[in-house]
Amino acid sequence: MLRFIVRRVLQLIPTLVGLSILLFVWLQRLPGGPEYALLPDDATDQQRASLRSSLGLDEPLTVQYLSFLRRILQGDLGTSIATGRPVLEEFLTRFPATFELAVSAMLIAVTVGLPLGYLAARRRGTVLDFAAVGGSLVGICTPVFFLAFILKVVLAERLGLFPSAFRLSPGLNRTNLSGFAVLDGLRTGEWDVVVDALAHLVLPGLALASIPLAVIVRMTRASVLEVLEEDYVRTADAKGLHRNTVRTRHVMRNAMLPVVTAIGLLTGSLFAGAVLTESVFAFPGIGSFIYSATQERDYPVLTGFILIIATVYVFINLLVDISYSLLDPRVRAQ
Amino acid sequence: MLRKSPRKPLALLAAATSLALVATACAESTREGGGGADSSEPFVFAAAGSISTLDPFLTSDGETYRYSRQVFETLLRHESGGSEIVGGLAEDWEQSEDGTVWTFHLRENVQFHDGDALDAEAVCANFDRWHNLTGGYQSSNNSYYWQSVFGGFAENEDEDIPESRYVSCEAQDELTPVITITEYSSIFPGGFSLAAFGIMSPSTLEAIADQEITGEEGNYTLPEYSQVAGTVAGTGPFTVEEWDQDQDEVTLQRFDDYWGEPAGFETMLLRAIPDETARRQALEAGDIHGYDLVAPADVEPLEAAGFQVPTRDVFNILYMAYQQEANEALADLEVRQALAHAVDRQRIVDTILPAGGEVATQFHPDTLDGWSPDVQTYEYDPELAEEMLADAGQEDLTLEFCYPSDVTRPYMPAPRDIFDVISADLEAVGVTVEPVTYEWADYIPRTNSGECPLYLLGWTGDYNDAYNFIGTWFSGYNSEFGFRDEDLFEAMAEASGNPDDTERVAAYQELNNQIMDILPGLPISSSPPSIAFAENVNPPAVSPLTQENFAEASWK
Repeated sequence: MLRFIVRRVLQLIPTLVGLSILLFVWLQRLPGGPEYALLPDDATDQQRASLRSSLGLDEPLTVQYLSFLRRILQGDLGTSIATGRPVLEEFLTRFPATFELAVSAMLIAVTVGLPLGYLAARRRGTVLDFAAVGGSLVGICTPVFFLAFILKVVLAERLGLFPSAFRLSPGLNRTNLSGFAVLDGLRTGEWDVVVDALAHLVLPGLALASIPLAVIVRMTRASVLEVLEEDYVRTADAKGLHRNTVRTRHVMRNAMLPVVTAIGLLTGSLFAGAVLTESVFAFPGIGSFIYSATQERDYPVLTGFILIIATVYVFINLLVDISYSLLDPRVRAQ
Repeated sequence: MLRKSPRKPLALLAAATSLALVATACAESTREGGGGADSSEPFVFAAAGSISTLDPFLTSDGETYRYSRQVFETLLRHESGGSEIVGGLAEDWEQSEDGTVWTFHLRENVQFHDGDALDAEAVCANFDRWHNLTGGYQSSNNSYYWQSVFGGFAENEDEDIPESRYVSCEAQDELTPVITITEYSSIFPGGFSLAAFGIMSPSTLEAIADQEITGEEGNYTLPEYSQVAGTVAGTGPFTVEEWDQDQDEVTLQRFDDYWGEPAGFETMLLRAIPDETARRQALEAGDIHGYDLVAPADVEPLEAAGFQVPTRDVFNILYMAYQQEANEALADLEVRQALAHAVDRQRIVDTILPAGGEVATQFHPDTLDGWSPDVQTYEYDPELAEEMLADAGQEDLTLEFCYPSDVTRPYMPAPRDIFDVISADLEAVGVTVEPVTYEWADYIPRTNSGECPLYLLGWTGDYNDAYNFIGTWFSGYNSEFGFRDEDLFEAMAEASGNPDDTERVAAYQELNNQIMDILPGLPISSSPPSIAFAENVNPPAVSPLTQENFAEASWK
């Protein structure tokens, strides 16, 4: 087991280096440059040129890349051009918001998706099955920003059920311990903060959950159906094992394999969805910050954030593989 | 998780749903409180971007200025709701004949938020601090407006920085600071009204004296005082209570010892909502009480729904530039004139711009001194345009025409629609138009470097002086327009350096005539940008320079 993990971790190194090169080259190819974002429209060409040279943007690409890599390895992701604060600090400031949002979305997707997919499979051909399959198709096809929009217009504006923007109501007094609003509220006993934060998570959480939810429903359903056909399930049933035991030990455990992989990958993709969802709901997380950074050509923020997120994604993959190997011993043996 | 029966997740879901419902009820109750009869209810205003620093000196960013104008005051300012320069912290002021010595008469009994009193020494301490800044502060990134207005520093650490135009600030008596500069420029007195030069208290200056900007270009770490509320004190109607960077929220609190009319709101919150539609929806949903940069298309629906959408006076200009080096034909005055006659600008104003827009006859709005009633005008006359093109031997003219694909600006709502009207007009007189689009971030560099023969661009003024418009473009060779006219450049420098107001205004009028004879581009329109407020707010006087004083606003 340990060997397997070590091998998988070592495999990460070329992936991450390749990633950093891709990212660096891609950012270089983006139009415009920070000298336009940093200085007002009427700045002179000379002011722009001197800024470029002092930012090191006139050095050869390889030199720029190597110094970029060296700084990353030292844990220095640079400073945001727009705000003047270290990129890592900006990330950590905004991460808790996105984390809470991603967790809510994943909780919604998993708690609804798994049972729904399972039930749809067990009751194949019933109304419930059709509703689950049809609904998930709609979920996959609907663009996240569109769904976010509809949710907002109907549930926030028309019905006034949920707040339409922000992470906490303006002016709410709270004790900021860790940046995680819900956790902090629970720790300090500020129930109004907990409730307010949860209310603000509902709509963006639902919007962000739509695609993972749909995928989980379909994958669980397909996977359970497949497993139900397996001989060992029939054998277990025939042996007279308790239905619940068959369900959990034989059906669910085996059916979960592809679903766990999907959940892992979907968790990573939540960050991408967050860019749109957070923008629509003015939710101050890393997604909306990346959106502004793109507008402002804030290179250090873009490189830093994307690098961190991509690394997280790669590590989630690693965890998926490890959990896969726990569920299925055959993977380890390979 | 895997060993749990499927019922457990269902139970969890039920719990989550009920929790959400409780949350809903609560969220609802907080919002109902936004009704406004209660003056302690915070007023929430959404801007398009977050603020970048608590010290406006360190930035050139308009969103930061929106915050800082409520907290720090400048020696001079623009009249409420207008563009005339009036007294700010200085009740009145005079300049020496050659425009190099500026004497300010401060208001009496003005107090800083930390209890310090405003006097001449305090003002001079601010100017001397700026002049003596070193290290990272000298990057044009961190002192852009100081360098634009006052040139360099006491000791420039980089040869690119121009020589300082600032000589000294002396306290003539307790309430009379005298600022001396090396030479007059028409940036003054407007420069003294720039938000970057908000006056801070002596105690603040003492507390921040040792704080440096560390790091190097592109990698600066701003000093702590500019990032954490608690140190900076100004004289404005609001104090800055908190800057919650997690929430992108700045909390301003009414300053009860303010020298003028106290603010109408006890608490004001500034929050960032970058997305235009999200701002409108947040207002409609009652989560905020006002926002800026309303899309022209949203004005009418918002008004119909009962929101207040006051329109600012026009202080901007949209033009179609001719880049004379990018296409030979454009170097010919007759061709430029022909194209001007070909464009039906009134149609653009009538069909695309928000109500209140007008056709521009010259390169700045008529609200500015120096606007000339006598400029040569170019009426819409397609036949004449065709004739002129034939005279110039350009019947088969082909021109690339650029417009931005992804933005609207206060002076340029719906660039694509404007482009469509103009290119149809040009095609009608026989010009072949090749459309080119770029994203905004790419558009500015490309048009600035002269890659587009024809393109749309514009400008919103910083302060009330014609130079802020025409000087920006025509005070020397500019790759945006790509022409050299030494007579014009010299006349511009002479006008800008003339400290006599009357003479300078006359010179600007003459310059406007001259520019419209040369026709480096076609001024198209000036359009009024809008700002929106909830029904229960008495809005502040809206400013053509987008310098609203929110202390004037209150709950109805």
